[in-house]
Amino acid sequence: MIPYILLQIVGMPVIGSLLILITRPKLGRKAGWIACITLLYTTALLFLVNIRVYQGATIFEEYILGSLVNVNLFADGLSAPVALIMNICSVALAFYSLHYVDHRIELIYGHVDEKTWILYNTRFFSLFLYFPAGFMGIAFCTNMISLFFFMELLTIIPLYFIMALFGYSDYIKRTNVALMCLFWGVGGATFFLIGIIVAFTQTGSFEIASLNALSGNQLVDLVIVLIFISMFVKLAVFPLHVWMPWVHAEHPTCIAGLLAVYANIAAYVIVRVLVIPLYNDLQVYSIPIMLLALITMVYGSLFTMVQHDVKRIAACSTISQISYSVLGIGALTVTSIEGGMFFFLSHIMGKTIFFSTAGLIVYATGIRDINKMGGLASKMPLTTLLWVLGAMALSGFPPLSAFVAEWIMFTGIFKSGVYGSSTVFVIAILAVTAIVLTISYTFLAAKRIFFGPLNPDFENKEIKDPPLTMIIPLLLLAVVLISLGLYPKFLLELFDSVIGLL
Amino acid sequence: MGIEFAWLCFLFPFAGALLSPVLAQIHPKLRDYGAVSLSFAAAVSSVMLIPYIFHPSQLPIESSFVWLTTPIKLKAGVLVDSLSIVMANVVAVISFFIMLYSMGYMKGSRSLTRWWMWMNLFIGSMLLLVLTNNLLFLFIGWKLVGLCSWGLISFYYKDEKEYCVGGPPPTQYRTPSHSGLKALIVTSAGDVLMLGGMLIVYAYAGTLNILELYNTSSMWITEMAQTPGMISLVIVLLLAGAFGKSAQFPFHEWLPEAMTGPAPVSALIHAATMVKSGVYLVARLIPIFYLGYWVAGCHEALYFFIIVAWVGAITAFVAASQGMVSLELKKVLAFSTVSQIGYMMLALGVAGLTPDNLVEGYTGGTFHLMSHALFKACLFLCAGSVIHAAHSIYINEMGSLRKYMPYTWLFMFIAALSLMGVPPLPGFWSKDLVLISTLHVHIYPLFLVAIITVIATSFYSLRFVGMVFHGKESENIATMKKKGKHLGEAHPIMVFACGALAIAIVVVGILGLKLEHFLGETFGDALERLHLTIVHPESAGLFVPALSVLTVLIGAVVAYIFYISRKMDPARFLEKRLSLKAIHKFFWNRWYIDDIVYYKFFVGIVTTLAATTPKYIEGPLNKVFHGFIPALPGGIYNIIKYMKTESREMTFNLLYIILLLIVILFVMFFLEGAP
Repeated sequence: MIPYILLQIVGMPVIGSLLILITRPKLGRKAGWIACITLLYTTALLFLVNIRVYQGATIFEEYILGSLVNVNLFADGLSAPVALIMNICSVALAFYSLHYVDHRIELIYGHVDEKTWILYNTRFFSLFLYFPAGFMGIAFCTNMISLFFFMELLTIIPLYFIMALFGYSDYIKRTNVALMCLFWGVGGATFFLIGIIVAFTQTGSFEIASLNALSGNQLVDLVIVLIFISMFVKLAVFPLHVWMPWVHAEHPTCIAGLLAVYANIAAYVIVRVLVIPLYNDLQVYSIPIMLLALITMVYGSLFTMVQHDVKRIAACSTISQISYSVLGIGALTVTSIEGGMFFFLSHIMGKTIFFSTAGLIVYATGIRDINKMGGLASKMPLTTLLWVLGAMALSGFPPLSAFVAEWIMFTGIFKSGVYGSSTVFVIAILAVTAIVLTISYTFLAAKRIFFGPLNPDFENKEIKDPPLTMIIPLLLLAVVLISLGLYPKFLLELFDSVIGLL
Repeated sequence: MGIEFAWLCFLFPFAGALLSPVLAQIHPKLRDYGAVSLSFAAAVSSVMLIPYIFHPSQLPIESSFVWLTTPIKLKAGVLVDSLSIVMANVVAVISFFIMLYSMGYMKGSRSLTRWWMWMNLFIGSMLLLVLTNNLLFLFIGWKLVGLCSWGLISFYYKDEKEYCVGGPPPTQYRTPSHSGLKALIVTSAGDVLMLGGMLIVYAYAGTLNILELYNTSSMWITEMAQTPGMISLVIVLLLAGAFGKSAQFPFHEWLPEAMTGPAPVSALIHAATMVKSGVYLVARLIPIFYLGYWVAGCHEALYFFIIVAWVGAITAFVAASQGMVSLELKKVLAFSTVSQIGYMMLALGVAGLTPDNLVEGYTGGTFHLMSHALFKACLFLCAGSVIHAAHSIYINEMGSLRKYMPYTWLFMFIAALSLMGVPPLPGFWSKDLVLISTLHVHIYPLFLVAIITVIATSFYSLRFVGMVFHGKESENIATMKKKGKHLGEAHPIMVFACGALAIAIVVVGILGLKLEHFLGETFGDALERLHLTIVHPESAGLFVPALSVLTVLIGAVVAYIFYISRKMDPARFLEKRLSLKAIHKFFWNRWYIDDIVYYKFFVGIVTTLAATTPKYIEGPLNKVFHGFIPALPGGIYNIIKYMKTESREMTFNLLYIILLLIVILFVMFFLEGAP
């Protein structure tokens, strides 16, 4: 086994980022490839980790910083696959960025000389790598202070700076959007910090595992509520979703998929920090969470339906999609939680495809308003295919894995509804019906963008499918989605080794 | 003999879908032949399953592998029993002829790779749906069929005018991309409800395997019955899926507009795949609810049969009435499909209404599905050739085509006679059985609706034959002739496919009675194995056949006078009678169901709700979170600054001093209380 394998997975992106900054005078335009290679390497490591874990092992690495704080890393059946899929999304987007960043730099800063261009380009990729670093940290760490640290790291370094440097300013200035994103991120995380400090006053430890001892404590509800508020901000649960349409839509599209991960990873944190240690104390929160999830789901879909900005469609759909995983977790049955986590992974891959395809459209046409599109399928067949694949992933069409995830999740929810509260049963039926809204807005957008007669404005323009380095990573993601849909056994057995113990 | 053929049956078309883009890189011809030969392979595999039917003692056979163990156990595999063998053969064999036909029809068309991929995926999904051994994979096939229909109905995605349906003005035109989306959304609405139903069934039964569901049904249905309304809910949810896919009332309006796809697609959707899936599902579910009512005694289970029968009868009549006035050739055929599927549903519904009607109704529904598949495929393929030749979708722009397309006329005429129910064609035998089983349950309104529909069917069938092939040439044809455009038979491969189907119709018709008895015995046997009480039908006498022939004649004579001998002009006949004119308008506007149920109700409610979100919810929330809260610190600061310095009021300063004192007191008390 490779030594320090988890540390490498978390640390390599940071080293890669520094390497990009150091070598940029020499490597010039090729610096972006360092990011891709680093992430390919960590993905390979993650495959190894997953195989080990599937064979029944767990990996634990100890890195103690002080008596209360450590960066211990732990890979089990839950963290390993989550980390793997998040990393796969990051790799795909790193390759996608190679061309996309060129386009962004040119659009924002105009034709600049080679040196300035390289400066911006390498700045992007060195910031980009903090995303996977943060994600991997959140997935593997066992200490809540380091968990908080990694969450803040994501908000402050890559998200804020990439937004401020490369974002869109179509509605409000990109620096303002960056600030908005920073405030919401930090604000949300603060609730988490208060929550874990309250927990600390009772248990005397910041270890996630120590939260077990909180069960039945008089302050447990306070801790749960604080952490839920913090996570709901990240998950964009109604009414804390208002940042999502702004922040998610105005980002440069090459990180939009990662923003979906950034938001949806909170579902993983909930399972890790609340569901596993405090399963019994959570029961009373089940129905309120499911209700919130249902409201968000329906509201998010309706709100998406009225958008006519292609990036906003993708952004607003995240609001409703994330709620499916919240619903699964909220039902608090083993089956539904496993389904919810599976849906989280399917969603981030599907959203990466869907959103990046929106980016491809903007890249090729230069416009965001779908009322000015129409008939693009004849000019951009591969982009159309990707959009349909993304739409299928979001609306849960087989053989993509989102279908299996939805099915498992709803099996759990219906079972608890049939034998438990009738409110859950009603929520289950309404939520399953709400899927039709997702189908409506994704395929309606497909019709408006790609089908129908070609918009006369495009006739003389040179519009074609973007370069293959942008398309192939997304197609490969679709292959991963389909493989997981055809053979979900591997992933679900991994999940079951952890969640099945509840 | 081997069960492997059941696997191959759907794997071949799936392989075809995947291979098409690869083969296209080598040579376009290779792609075309590859796609068709893989569908041929599927047809052969399904035929290889037929011997099992003659050895009923071996059935049902299951072959499966463990697909998932946690958190749900599921063995994926195939189930071969008499129903799945019959269905697989209908689907695979007819699909093959349609694929063959489309080689001629689509010649020179753009995006052929996409075409073959969708077609093969469509066929494969349908075969997966009918052959799988569990409800999950049935649902997977079900969803994929819906997706493929979207891809194929909106195949001409550029929405050129010649591919639109509807009209002539003031009736609206519908574009291919619109119709495709409508089909997808309407059927998906049914799908998600059906998924809910399946999940409830799983929650009680603990399995999705079809045979296990049959075997344990008396247990879990009884458990379900303990919650009042639960069985009814499950029935409604499951049937919503079936009615959505099979275009039954009130979800039937997507099907006539699905005509925007190329003719082979219409044939595929109507004859072999898609709309038959709902009928198949109902047939699959019958043993469960039959057992639930007649054996386990859960009275709610009877609703299944009541709903199916009534919806079937209503749909049969509603759609036939619309078919009587429609002017688009393919739309007439589409309405007739909806109506004929209504008959199938009717038969399956009445199967469970009395304990001795099971075999008769079940066989009637399935047999009608078979014969309908044959003649409807033939009708659509011929319609494709006719539309191709006449360059118009409207039957009033055709006329007198018989002399230009004698073969197509012959084939279409045979198929239309079968649709009308003229003996000894298969449509006669199967419709006869449907009517007999309906009569057996002694619910006379059902029977009456069914009989009236026979008249309507016979009328609209002869109407379109007359308007297309007989009478005078329309202006359109005359102009075409003047311009020297080619008017004649289609590509030989298309004529061949139509001819083969027409011959099959005649052969099946001649063997009709024997086939009917054979199917009755086979299904009876299969149902008996599920421990259901079986009464084999006795011969019903000549009342129903005589009545059915008589009613066919009534419709036919009227249509003959109007449209073939043309002794009377239908337009002038209508002009004089105001009440008939009103009815005509009502039927022409499709009972306003499309307008009111789909556009005003579903689309209207959702879009209105969606339109309110930015203004009434998102806007205010944005104001609170991004306006009010960020402004709070600055606002408070301003107020304090104003009070402190700018107001020049002595009282404020006094207030500060008092506040400060209070705070100090609080702190002191707090400190004192602390240990």
